[in-house]
Amino acid sequence: MSNNKFKVLVVEDEANICSFIETLLETNGYQALVANTCGMGQTLFTSHNPDLIILDLGLPDRDGLELIRFVRQKFLTPIIVLSARTTEQDKIEALDLGANDYITKPFGTGELLARVRAALRMNRFGVLNGMPGGVFRAQGLEINYERRKVFVDGEEVKLTQTEYNIVAFLSEHAGRVMTYASIVRAIWGDTDCGSTKKLQVNMANIRKKLGSVPGHNTYILNELGVGYRIIDEDTDTKTES
Amino acid sequence: MNQKTRWHDALVLAGVLCAACALVAGTQQLTGRIDGVASMVFVLAVFLISMYTDGYLWGVAASLIGVLAVNFAFRSPYFAFNFTLPENLFSGIVMLVVAIMTSTLTTRIKKQEQLRMESETEKMRATLLRAVSHDLRTPLTSIYGACSTVIENYDNLEKEQKLKLLGEACSDAQWLNRMVENLLSVTRFDGGQVAVQKTPTVLDELIDSVLVRFQKRYPKVHVTTDLPDSFIVIPMDSMLISQVLTNLLENAAVHADGMTTLTLRVFTLGSRAVFEVSDDGCGIPKERLRTLFSGVMPPDAAADSGKHGMGIGLSVCAAIVKAHGGEIQAESKVGEGTTIRFWLETESIETEENEDEQ
Repeated sequence: MSNNKFKVLVVEDEANICSFIETLLETNGYQALVANTCGMGQTLFTSHNPDLIILDLGLPDRDGLELIRFVRQKFLTPIIVLSARTTEQDKIEALDLGANDYITKPFGTGELLARVRAALRMNRFGVLNGMPGGVFRAQGLEINYERRKVFVDGEEVKLTQTEYNIVAFLSEHAGRVMTYASIVRAIWGDTDCGSTKKLQVNMANIRKKLGSVPGHNTYILNELGVGYRIIDEDTDTKTES
Repeated sequence: MNQKTRWHDALVLAGVLCAACALVAGTQQLTGRIDGVASMVFVLAVFLISMYTDGYLWGVAASLIGVLAVNFAFRSPYFAFNFTLPENLFSGIVMLVVAIMTSTLTTRIKKQEQLRMESETEKMRATLLRAVSHDLRTPLTSIYGACSTVIENYDNLEKEQKLKLLGEACSDAQWLNRMVENLLSVTRFDGGQVAVQKTPTVLDELIDSVLVRFQKRYPKVHVTTDLPDSFIVIPMDSMLISQVLTNLLENAAVHADGMTTLTLRVFTLGSRAVFEVSDDGCGIPKERLRTLFSGVMPPDAAADSGKHGMGIGLSVCAAIVKAHGGEIQAESKVGEGTTIRFWLETESIETEENEDEQ
């Protein structure tokens, strides 16, 4: 049985935080490996090949960003960044280096587990499905990649090419925060200075067409100053609200 | 900055000296004799330069140039230096003294101004700290108490009792966290002087993330929104402003007893975006309203500790809005409700062609 468990590598120097994350993961059916330094994290990563990394950016020996760089040279292992720093720039840097998600300290246990589940799910299905061709379903939102059409509660939503491309791009990376720069690069191919605004205008139209009003029917979540994240895809077993 | 003041000072020096030369030359044309006038005019010029420049250097330079100019151009023998006359030497010394004394005085005044401002920020910090340490101790006491009770009496307590104690500790920790968020914001702009880092933020996105966050904390409180239809972009530090809105909504949710509707309204007034959070709860007494944003606690606030005093939340809001160049006001009638309103400058946006190929 224990072989089936997902291995999660926790890189964090604060002993108390380590201990509670470890307990939390183990009571929820994951196998936790703990490293207190960046170097130890690298060693454990190479020797155990974990399914997920939870990484604190402020480590005693080196900056956690270095571990992201190290892992991303060869591996797609999902990385969730834990950060006490609350400025946008740190988050953007970590995400642009290839981290999948970030969570700001302090966080609720439920929040952390949800992010862990999302990151693991994405890694399992995202690669296998080979996205285009399938159908994306999350709450009332449905995206049909073959017909390039988007439905909300069964009703078709008329999107422009660009708008569809943005929604499709976000859904291919569901549950993951995409920075403004990465979206612009994927949709328009370049990053001139006005393009973030262009994206925001398009996003406002998309949101209007999807019937989202602030605070309700939010399919696309704002990470202010950082980027966007589309809500998580429904799984067959359970639906998260 | 340094480079800029240096340019400014050099310009003042050149400008005033040119004006002095022109004035003296003009009088010479009119009257023919200027020996007395020239020195006076240049003493005045040196005085002005010392006053409007930074440090001693410019004033001293001006007085030297003045002495040479007067000696060379405006005193017999004209257009030749002559250092033998005692009055030339004398006027030179006078100019130097004027320059040095004026510079000393202006420097001292500038320093005093700076000290006064520093002490004011210091005072603000001290009030804030006092309010904070009072507010931090309450939840800490409860967390500490609850945890140690559970540890020491683990076997004696019923399961429900343990859950209740731990639940209280949990919610107090969350409250503590919000408090620390507020504190972090305050430290991000020192004394309200440092400009906040503004990025253009879409109004709808801002309101959306505020409401999503607020509903997570207070799922039972319904917020009615009234937003403009147009696409509005406001340059702001989105984290700070969303904190202002969250603080205002939370205050209403926690303190407005008997509230039935909570409204978040945004409208544009000229180039300004006005944000309004209004409730129809118990209202705020007039005496309290005056010091609402100052962070100063009324003496009887401690009695209100059962409900976490309003604490530093509103003073942080005021500081944030002020740092953005906006203004915040409160309106309240006891028994009828409270409206807190603030405005920010919007960015005029040309609606671009976004309707590309259909």
